[in-house]
Amino acid sequence: MNNADAIWDRTLEHVYLTALAVGIGLVISLVLSVIALKWRPTYQPITWVTGILYTIPSLALFAFLVPVTGLSVLTAEIGLVSYTLLILIRNIVTGIDAVPVDVLESAAGMGYTQGRRFWDIELPIAVPVIITGIRIATVTVIGLVTVTSLIGLGGLGFFILRGLQNFSSPIGTTQIFIGTILSVVLAVAADVSLAGIERWLTPWANRGAAE
Amino acid sequence: MRHNAAVSANSMIELSDVSKTFRGTDSPAVQSLSLSVEVGETVVLVGPSGCGKTTTLKMINRLIEPTSGSIVIDGTSVTDLPAHELRRGIGYVIQQIGLFPHRTIRRNIATVPGLLGWEKGRVARRIDELAELVDINPDMLDRYPSELSGGERQRIGVARALAADPPVLLMDEPFGAVDPIVRARLQEGLLSLQERLQKTIVLVTHDIDEAILLGDRVAILNVGGHLEQYDTPAEILRSPASPFVADFLGSDRGIKRLSLIPIRDIELEHGPVVRPDADAEEIERVMAATGVDWIAVGSDGQLDGWTPGADVRSAGGLAGVALRPFETTLDISDSLKEALDAVVSSHTSVAAVFEDGRYLGMLSIDTISEEIVQ
Repeated sequence: MNNADAIWDRTLEHVYLTALAVGIGLVISLVLSVIALKWRPTYQPITWVTGILYTIPSLALFAFLVPVTGLSVLTAEIGLVSYTLLILIRNIVTGIDAVPVDVLESAAGMGYTQGRRFWDIELPIAVPVIITGIRIATVTVIGLVTVTSLIGLGGLGFFILRGLQNFSSPIGTTQIFIGTILSVVLAVAADVSLAGIERWLTPWANRGAAE
Repeated sequence: MRHNAAVSANSMIELSDVSKTFRGTDSPAVQSLSLSVEVGETVVLVGPSGCGKTTTLKMINRLIEPTSGSIVIDGTSVTDLPAHELRRGIGYVIQQIGLFPHRTIRRNIATVPGLLGWEKGRVARRIDELAELVDINPDMLDRYPSELSGGERQRIGVARALAADPPVLLMDEPFGAVDPIVRARLQEGLLSLQERLQKTIVLVTHDIDEAILLGDRVAILNVGGHLEQYDTPAEILRSPASPFVADFLGSDRGIKRLSLIPIRDIELEHGPVVRPDADAEEIERVMAATGVDWIAVGSDGQLDGWTPGADVRSAGGLAGVALRPFETTLDISDSLKEALDAVVSSHTSVAAVFEDGRYLGMLSIDTISEEIVQ
């Protein structure tokens, strides 16, 4: 049966496009966040630019890019990555800002250098907030990947598009169903897995207080 | 340049003409402060808000850099090494403690040894030592800070500061965030720790009573870091150097002095005590001789109780008279301040003193006030 193969291929494509976008987005966001944290005045402009990118309708963004970068994975990724930046940067900076002042002070007082303190103390404590950002970004990107069906990709969105094109026939309805339901399943699965990863990474966040 | 000519050979921390003016402010937070801390002594910096006590403390480990002046620890200027290296050799405890929430207690305590590159076996042995020293239940070691109570976290904070066995310990209002009962226990804990370890401690507090309790010497600071008086608690209480100091000590200065005198140090009165077989005549005699109208009954280091003279007279003796227990009793290790409280709240205007359950004598208000008037 060719259909099962097709569905599997498209699912893999969907996962690949998502993982790539969120991965690259995370690296860029970490760099921009460190810049924003070290030089506070840059935070506003960074948020402003990534905010604008976020508000551009995805279809329009892809349409703009196609003449430049073609109907390619690159086009899709440029678009998808730009949508992750606002969320990830906001969450990374907020997460680091939320580290209690007394923790920072005691770390400095004990002899941590600024750099080591960032990696050993601030970042790990900010992990729950950062992973929340990653979850939101991932689910958002999974949704946006379906739009890339209009530039020849789409992952599971491929079936949704096909289904819409075959709307009058029964196979159309089936295709829309499969595309939609599997996209949702993928989003839920990603969200739950990331939540699980968060719990695994932060055994300290779930313990109760003795007082 | 040293202005303090009389530098003792035992000086561990030496502040010379240290000043700090924060950017954007006109008046200095600390102005030309010179202070010397000896090896193994506990010095408490105390004063009202804005007196620069915390700023001074933080200049010792360079969390704040002085605008001018020099600070020398154990013969080395604090600016001779990078700040983070300096701090790894100084224990630091703050009011909110700042335990790392994402690490177990064990890893929290092992922080500085980790930064110093100690090998694992040495760290493990040190943690066992500290658990015993600061009275930490080994079960606690694998828990996270969020699971501990305030008092437990405080003790972990102290253990963490002592982990690499630094000679100097800096403490910034370490007991301010807990309730009075826990605070008293923590203060006791620090005192017995010092008896064993003899660290050089600089402690900041706004509480004069805590300063008197914990300090070998107390530095009273006024706004702008002006050193008003720097002496032992007993000396400061006996003779405050200025109206500011007298004011800061409070109007109950005499009573505070009492808290520094243990009952052990003074001579107790025998008190109006008779054996259970005493007759009415003897009882009247003893009461008259002591100048009171009540009698205590006991023998061989045991006190059975007391009864008013009236009850003895109407019964014609002790037979059938119900003895009342002494409501407040003191241990010989208590201070005269506790004695005064007991005396003032008792029916008999005296307090009975015991050691391990054995009756030793009594304290009256006259004996107590004699100690202050001296």
